Amino acid sequence: MSQIALFGNPNTGKTSLFNNLTGSYEYVGNWSGVTVEKKVGILRSRDAYVVDLPGVYSLHPLSRDEGVATDFLLTESFSTVLNIVDASQLKRNLHLTIQLLEFGKPLVMALNMIDVAERRGMKIDVKQLSTKLGVPVVPVIARTGKGMDELAETLRSAQQPKPLALTYDDVIETAIAKISRYLPDDIERSKRWLALQCLEGNERVYDYLRTKIELEPILAIRKQTEESIRQLPHGRSLRERLHHLRETFIEAVLEDVVVWAEKQPLTWTEKIDAIVTNKYLGMPIFLFFMYVMFMLTFDWLGSPLADLLDQFFSGPLTDTLSRLLTAMGASKFLQELVLNGIVSGVGGVLVFVPQIFILFFFISLLEDSGYMARVAMVMDRLMEAIGLNGKSFIPMIIGFGCNVPGVMAARTIEQPRERLLTILLLPLMSCSARLPVYALFVGAFFQAHQAEVVFSLYVLGIVVALLLAKLFSSTILKNEHSVFVIELPPYRMPQALTLWRSTWDKGKGFVRKAGTFIFGGSVAIWLLSYAGPKGFNVSMDDSFLAAIGGVLAPVLAPLGFGTWQAGAALLTGFLAKEVVVSTMNIIYHVKDTETLQGLMAHYFTPLSAFSFMAFVLLYVPCLATVATIRKETGSTKWTFFAIGYALVIAYIISLLIYEGGKWLGLS
Amino acid sequence: MVLTDLQPGKRATITNLSIMSELLKQRLIDMGIHEGEEVCVKCTMPFGGPVMVEVAGQCICLRRKEAACIGVE
Repeated sequence: MSQIALFGNPNTGKTSLFNNLTGSYEYVGNWSGVTVEKKVGILRSRDAYVVDLPGVYSLHPLSRDEGVATDFLLTESFSTVLNIVDASQLKRNLHLTIQLLEFGKPLVMALNMIDVAERRGMKIDVKQLSTKLGVPVVPVIARTGKGMDELAETLRSAQQPKPLALTYDDVIETAIAKISRYLPDDIERSKRWLALQCLEGNERVYDYLRTKIELEPILAIRKQTEESIRQLPHGRSLRERLHHLRETFIEAVLEDVVVWAEKQPLTWTEKIDAIVTNKYLGMPIFLFFMYVMFMLTFDWLGSPLADLLDQFFSGPLTDTLSRLLTAMGASKFLQELVLNGIVSGVGGVLVFVPQIFILFFFISLLEDSGYMARVAMVMDRLMEAIGLNGKSFIPMIIGFGCNVPGVMAARTIEQPRERLLTILLLPLMSCSARLPVYALFVGAFFQAHQAEVVFSLYVLGIVVALLLAKLFSSTILKNEHSVFVIELPPYRMPQALTLWRSTWDKGKGFVRKAGTFIFGGSVAIWLLSYAGPKGFNVSMDDSFLAAIGGVLAPVLAPLGFGTWQAGAALLTGFLAKEVVVSTMNIIYHVKDTETLQGLMAHYFTPLSAFSFMAFVLLYVPCLATVATIRKETGSTKWTFFAIGYALVIAYIISLLIYEGGKWLGLS
Repeated sequence: MVLTDLQPGKRATITNLSIMSELLKQRLIDMGIHEGEEVCVKCTMPFGGPVMVEVAGQCICLRRKEAACIGVE
């Protein structure tokens, strides 16, 4: 089956278009860099694959996600390029189109966001654009799916385009000819395109050519060309010259294509920006938004819903299952496994689904509205002070949902060191899996101040991350030059359907985890608590689990929770942090959260409970995050570092909290 | 004069990008900030924070010290 590759500038709606063409539900948002990896889907008509790629401004990549798009061109075979273009930024978008046309594959242009262009006073003659560039152009509305049928039809009949009518100046054309002559004849990509990319200084293309030929002569030609260009009256660099010549060509193309009408007065994006990016109000507004999010999640809405669910699990569900198992004549062992192991373990985590969905809803809202990039801008000054940049803040907010996509989102950060630092610190962002642990403990020990205590833990995570960022960036990860440039997209009214999909998409991972990891973990933990060195059905204190947890207990004693139960829960929490709750439910042998909370008062004091929560927040990234860190950094050393420093810092902070609290007379 | 000298809301033409670092220059050029283009400062963040500029209808945020490397007229 043939392959269609989707190319376009960042935040032009590639993934929305992809979803509509293939009927997928991939992750979309209103900021640059939502898609950091290629994704493959099948066209609705089932006769071609569609590949969604991260957004790029040009084929010369500056960050890791952009490299994915260039690598695709160099290594994969495909039949057609689908170039999605933001009509309101036509001039800028066409720079990429030109590079794609130079590549020489059949190209179809999908012209998106015509409504935005019209609001800016642009009228675009689609037919004229198509004639001038020699490619089919289809107007679409990617968000709603308008124009998809015509687009699919056009894609099916896409032809080899006639060569682009753009010739560069004499110096550059001579260099192209020289490089093309040097390239081997059996090379599979367009020679002109390869030559131009070499002149751009595209490292990925260099790497590709290095596998085939000696690169030195090409670099020499480039150097020579660079010098000749510098001597021209305007004194630009080669890359700027290429850009300038393309710009001139594009301006000529657009002359008859775009008609400018009177620009409408202040758009509502400008009005909103006047408030949320206001010099003095920007930061307070963001903090207020976060506060409302936490209060809704933990206090106003989330907790009552979680309580309802808990009542259902411990009451009707357990009773029905119990009766069912008895009726089936299940053995005592099986009954206990299901009721004490699975229902306690999995149910104990599932009760927190409402809170987690509310949190995800807010994160989706942040992503879809266009506010995300503004947050990066508002936070940049603070992040700069600690050796990061505002862009690092986006992965961190995503990390509040789940650390895994957070680590992936760091791909958009241009500076490798800043990216690494962001990845290393990301596990300190309190993800939704840690939320059940907090909810359990605050319900037991901090009834009156639930939201405040949980908020303090989130803040603790952020503060520790910021301090460590400062420490690392001034010691082991010294940055040569920090860069921060970000596009601020126009605001969009989030659509209910997109918001729901995006929330569900994030939340279903949590539910799925409950069915796999937590289910398996619960069964294993229950078995370990059921069996002991002396046989089966032993008292819990004589079980294998107690023996394993007991090893850790003395180490944890200075932190205020030196029990085998805490040790066992923390150990299993490495699988996924929710498992801490499952383990506690199983160990303390209870059916509902309320009884568990009553029972925990025997083992914890409010102070040691807080120390425990802080430890769970910081101690070690979960298994899935560790695997992602390994993949994204490509380094075992840094992966171990991420685990190691987290353990050390968790121990120090918990010790400070517990011993400090005791000293203050809080225990 | 440089971009940071420009009063918020006033328009000017970019004349010089040459003192900027290569990486940043490429990124800005990609985003449409290049010589000859009209630019307008929308707002600045406090404590020496970044500035938000508008070029060809697109809002872009960059750091103040880098905006100070952009010559305008």
